[in-house]
Amino acid sequence: MEKQSGYTWKLGMFVTIGSLLFILAVYFIGKQKNLFGSTFNITSQFKTVSGLEVGNNVRFSGINIGTVEEIRLINDSSVVVSMVIKEEVKEFIKTDARTSIGSDGLMGDKVLTISPGVKSTKEIENGGKLASMQGIEMNDIMKSVKKSMDNVGVISEELAIFSHSMNNGNGALARLVRDDKMAASVSNTLSNLESGTKGFSENMEAAKSNFLFKGYFKKKEKQKEKAAEEVKEKKEEQAEKAAKEKEAKEKEAKEKEEKAKEEKAKAEKQKEEDAKKAAEKAKS
Amino acid sequence: MILTLRNTFTEIGNATLFAKQFFKEVFVPPYEAKELLKQCYIIGYKSLPLVAITGFIMGLVLTLQSRPTLVKFGAESWLPGMVALSLIREIAPVITALICAGKISSGIGAELGSMKVTEQIDAMEVSAINPYNYLVVTRILACTLMVPLLVFFADAIGILGGYIGVNIHGDVNFYRYMTQIFQSLEFLDLFPATIKTFFFGFFIGMIGCYKGFNAANGTESVGRAANSAVVTASLAIFILDMVAVQITDLFFVQ
Amino acid sequence: MIKEKENIEPKTKKTKEESKTPMIVIKDLHKTFGKDNKVLQGVNLTVNKGEDLVILGRSGSGKSVTIKCIVGLIEPDKGEIKVFDENVLNLSKKDLNEIRVRIGFLFQSGALYDSMSVRENLAFTLRKHKSELTAEEIESEVIEALDNVGLADAIDKMPSELSGGMQKRIGLARTLILKPEIILYDEPTTGLDTITSREISELILDIKHKQKTTSIIITHDMACAKLTADRIMVLKDGKIHAEGTYEELEKDEDEWVRSFFE
Repeated sequence: MEKQSGYTWKLGMFVTIGSLLFILAVYFIGKQKNLFGSTFNITSQFKTVSGLEVGNNVRFSGINIGTVEEIRLINDSSVVVSMVIKEEVKEFIKTDARTSIGSDGLMGDKVLTISPGVKSTKEIENGGKLASMQGIEMNDIMKSVKKSMDNVGVISEELAIFSHSMNNGNGALARLVRDDKMAASVSNTLSNLESGTKGFSENMEAAKSNFLFKGYFKKKEKQKEKAAEEVKEKKEEQAEKAAKEKEAKEKEAKEKEEKAKEEKAKAEKQKEEDAKKAAEKAKS
Repeated sequence: MILTLRNTFTEIGNATLFAKQFFKEVFVPPYEAKELLKQCYIIGYKSLPLVAITGFIMGLVLTLQSRPTLVKFGAESWLPGMVALSLIREIAPVITALICAGKISSGIGAELGSMKVTEQIDAMEVSAINPYNYLVVTRILACTLMVPLLVFFADAIGILGGYIGVNIHGDVNFYRYMTQIFQSLEFLDLFPATIKTFFFGFFIGMIGCYKGFNAANGTESVGRAANSAVVTASLAIFILDMVAVQITDLFFVQ
Repeated sequence: MIKEKENIEPKTKKTKEESKTPMIVIKDLHKTFGKDNKVLQGVNLTVNKGEDLVILGRSGSGKSVTIKCIVGLIEPDKGEIKVFDENVLNLSKKDLNEIRVRIGFLFQSGALYDSMSVRENLAFTLRKHKSELTAEEIESEVIEALDNVGLADAIDKMPSELSGGMQKRIGLARTLILKPEIILYDEPTTGLDTITSREISELILDIKHKQKTTSIIITHDMACAKLTADRIMVLKDGKIHAEGTYEELEKDEDEWVRSFFE
């Protein structure tokens, strides 16, 4: 009997520690999966769960607070996900919190995220339901990426054609780019044009003064004002009105001024004509 | 060739009958509680140092070996989880079982073999004591119960070894290490592995007893019984492991 | 011990009335090992109450197989074995065990359980079959049985610490502790020196007188046979070759029988 007790305590110790290790492992794994300790349930309905699986984590403000317990199809377009949440975070989840499904990194597991609501102060009850937000699906991201990629494709294709014709074509622009003579002639043309325009602008100035064209120029001015008005329409009404009144006043003032100018110009023209007539008379 | 095959089948058939007798006798009194405790002590407690050392080294080595690959992927933080997972799922059960096959199965084979050769088993039989009940049932039962416990020890010590392995190159707080491990573990990792070890234990005991109990006369057959117990038990462990993993894979993994 | 004797007494009385009660009857026993290793080819023998039968024979002549058949360790191919008037071969395991308790068997090597001390070796069988005994009673019986073989001081030794002769004597003590009515000795003196052999032989004789047992002694040691035998049988090629008392066989002209005496 003495001999027996010599080894039984060692055996007992061995068995106890071994079993304890197992129990601890079970406990800690269970804790990770929220099997022990008080918990409560929430459900939420989704159109798609994007590959969410039972056992995936539930997050609230980035903290793992529970796991997905069950995923159930209830009809052809909705899935109910029920989750187990630690009791201690219950007070922070309000009835207007929303759930969404995201993923943990690009390749990671799916994660069910609960985002806090704004208004409600009522905390969720056991078995409560939370509204869901349609999460951004990888597919959607891929679709939009594809669209922009397509556009880029089209643009670059056109760009290629354009640069090709620039380099090889015989159009004016192409020649302008490649041909020095052309460039010189264009620059000549431009300087001619410049001097031409000077004369032209002088003529135009003269034409403006001419009463025959007066109506045409006035019309043009009005159109300008109208365009300005349209731009300003989006501004507040009062400002607009004030502007209109201002403009109207300005118009009147301008008209007066112009009339005065015109009379002056007439007088001058007449003077000039008189001078010319006198000079011609003298020549002849 | 055909003869060898036939002999193999005969052997398997005999072993099956031997195992069948275990299930028949295990529920029949007399229950040899004292002998069972003694065998548990010899098989469990006495094997602990060996299992502890191998478990520790496996954890350490596994960590050091897996590290470079994970570092390449920048997934160094997965190291504890990965080591714990492979330890608990596969390495600890199989290595422990193999160690036990080497130590226990051969020990039982040699012990019963020499008892057989020196007519001790016959002596028991003629004094109307059921040697199967006294010698075999207790040993098989002790193995079946103790090997899983040894595996738990190997798991724990292996994880400890892994911790040291992780800290050779990096600096990880123990608490953080344990959190990482339990984050990566699930019941699906622990339970099938545990169930598997009961079978390992049963077969280690059964094969050792069978080989010893059926040793031929003559001293050299004792050595042969021990040797063949180790070989057969090790082979059985690998086959069992394959079957267990397949079953787990079939039923539990989507 | 005394209690036990009282238990046995009624049977002893009965046998005194009919002095030649056959305890063991073997008829036409056949046993073949493997394909054609014919060990026993029709052995017939009868052992009467209180008689010491010595079976002589060379190694491999089937002596051991014969007595192992009696206790059901080996199952013969053909034949009939009756012990205490019961056919051993047809008994259920449970009934066979009841008969086995009444038969002692001393193995060649002593067959002590080498994981147990001498005390545990002796107490083990006792505990299994007489569970009503207290620890003290078992202890006193163990000491008494060891005293009978003169080895009371070896009680705490392990079998590996004992010499061959001591192992055999302890084995004998273990056999005797259950007070068997029949004792089968399988080569009790093999491997021992002459002096120890003689001691063992005298012990066998002593037991016979003290406990009124019936015995079969298998040996090829003539000194032992001379001392213990009431009757001798010579086994050859799996059959009884000759039979008679020591003196009768000593004068036998048969070459095979003579070879034992030379």
